Amino acid sequence: MRPLDWVVLVGSLTTIIAYGLYRGRGSNTVDRYLLAGKSMPWYAMALSIMATQASAITFISTTGQSYVDGMRFVQFYFGMPLAMVVLSATAVPIFHRAKVYTAYEYLENRFDGKTRALASLIFLMQRGLSVGLTFYAPAIVLSIIFGWPDRLTTLIIGITVVVYTVTGGIRTVTWTDVQQMLIILFGLVVALFMIIALLPRQVSFLDAVHLAGSAGKLNAVNFHFDWNDRYNLWSGLIGGMFLALSYFGCDQSQVQRYLTGKSIAQSKLSLLFTAIAKIPMQFFILFIGAMVFVFYIFEPAPLLFQRAEYERIRRPELRARYEPIATQYQDAITRRKEAALAIVEARHSHDGGAESDAVSRYRSAQQGVDAARKQGAGLVQATGGEKGFRDTNYIFLSFVTKYLPAGIVGLVIAVILAATMSSSSGEINSLATVSVVDIYKRHFRKSAPDHHYLTASRVATAFWGAYAVAFAGLGKHLGSLIEAVNIVGSLFYGSLLGVFTLAFFFKRVGGTGAFLGMLAGEAAIFAAFLFTGISFLWYNVIGCLVVIATGLAVSYIWPADGTRVDAGVALQLK
Amino acid sequence: MPPDTREMPDEPPPFLGTWRRVYTAVVLYLALLIALCYAFTRAFS
Repeated sequence: MRPLDWVVLVGSLTTIIAYGLYRGRGSNTVDRYLLAGKSMPWYAMALSIMATQASAITFISTTGQSYVDGMRFVQFYFGMPLAMVVLSATAVPIFHRAKVYTAYEYLENRFDGKTRALASLIFLMQRGLSVGLTFYAPAIVLSIIFGWPDRLTTLIIGITVVVYTVTGGIRTVTWTDVQQMLIILFGLVVALFMIIALLPRQVSFLDAVHLAGSAGKLNAVNFHFDWNDRYNLWSGLIGGMFLALSYFGCDQSQVQRYLTGKSIAQSKLSLLFTAIAKIPMQFFILFIGAMVFVFYIFEPAPLLFQRAEYERIRRPELRARYEPIATQYQDAITRRKEAALAIVEARHSHDGGAESDAVSRYRSAQQGVDAARKQGAGLVQATGGEKGFRDTNYIFLSFVTKYLPAGIVGLVIAVILAATMSSSSGEINSLATVSVVDIYKRHFRKSAPDHHYLTASRVATAFWGAYAVAFAGLGKHLGSLIEAVNIVGSLFYGSLLGVFTLAFFFKRVGGTGAFLGMLAGEAAIFAAFLFTGISFLWYNVIGCLVVIATGLAVSYIWPADGTRVDAGVALQLK
Repeated sequence: MPPDTREMPDEPPPFLGTWRRVYTAVVLYLALLIALCYAFTRAFS
């Protein structure tokens, strides 16, 4: 990091937070603090939703994932527009008309207190697990790339987020998210232009796209169905839709964004705009990763990008195991570069035969590169290195710090920290809301003046911020749990989605059916997780269906309380 | 916390007239995106 990078980094983040605090002034009632007084326009909510969803590690990993695995991850988002349409037609008007602060509050209107309590606890458990790692994951990457102490990085980000979230509530969180999302988009565009500008002179943009495609990096759609394949069109459309329904319809960190809308129409527009923008945005991020791949065809790419582990396996005591891999890798990347240049030359001279021959050699060399990198990662794990080692998280940042000019590096780091802050502030804010509204107010202090709950909300926000920072400190002992936490989300979302589906669409199901349905749904998801190899995207589908089936079966024994059903269902029929 | 007395009417969308048409447009947009992604995959693989 050079002085100009620091100026860009500190300047952009300070400006964003100052602007957020300015827009968040006057959050002096619970309604304004937790729901922004229902005053938000659609575009602010939409950008806030996108910013909350895009955490730093997603951004760092996605580019690396494309480098390694191609663009097929984009299919993960294909179900989102369908989910957004369903939620706009159901959850948004229902929650707004129910005049609730949290999604789980609605469950008590529709079912009973125990169902609300269980759903709230599931949310607190699941979101509480991930919030610490939202801080930790980028901190550990930055510590390895720059040598920054991860504890200090976590603390600085954490204190910054807590201060502005406690001070301005959701209005500050939302407007800060808007600025953070804009800088993320700006940073991504600049990064792509820089990568293309750094390609060798004889390699045009179209050549680069062909080289990425020939190596299988532009595999955006795969129609082949496979239960165990994480990313194909069908898992994306069906599994992705259920995941998006769960996340945007049942997770308070997202529901709270669109509950701040000044009207139902504005909230619907925010979700639909997200539906429209998300796939192109993810496509763009993945495309950046593919272009980084092409860039490294012509520049010396290290066997592993995680510098600390790479240096460790090159130590004298491991040399006997490292050298054969390094030799194989060096040979493969040399052959790949020669073949790539031959492809470019053949394309320019319109020589189809030569191009076809060069592509064969290029693909063969790429297989050698992949095999050597896999062996390198295997060596890391076999010799006591990082458990669940994933080199993908370090590819993009290694490129940024080594090849991008002063100022741009600061901008990209600002993008990563902005993504961390936007995700964590939304999570902390929603955890505090559920703690106060669904737990404290519901079970401990049912009636108190507004300022009492406002103070409680600020205290809860500070608590969850401190908890996140403290939990992030434990991250280094969790090894591969960073990846596991993503799967942990899927362990809980299915049953939440199931209970809201029962609430919205099944009149005859009452509180007992919903409660037992959630328990059965959780049992089914954990069984799938522990005893099958089914991809985690399907857990939401399984959990949701089991909740519905159990809820319906139980409802024959304990039918719904007519009064509650009328109150609950009437909300959607208005 | 005082009770929320705000009315939340479900206004029509600012374009296409009805929400049903907006939802249809989003689904068609998704189909178009998938088709474009497929064409992109085929063109450069």
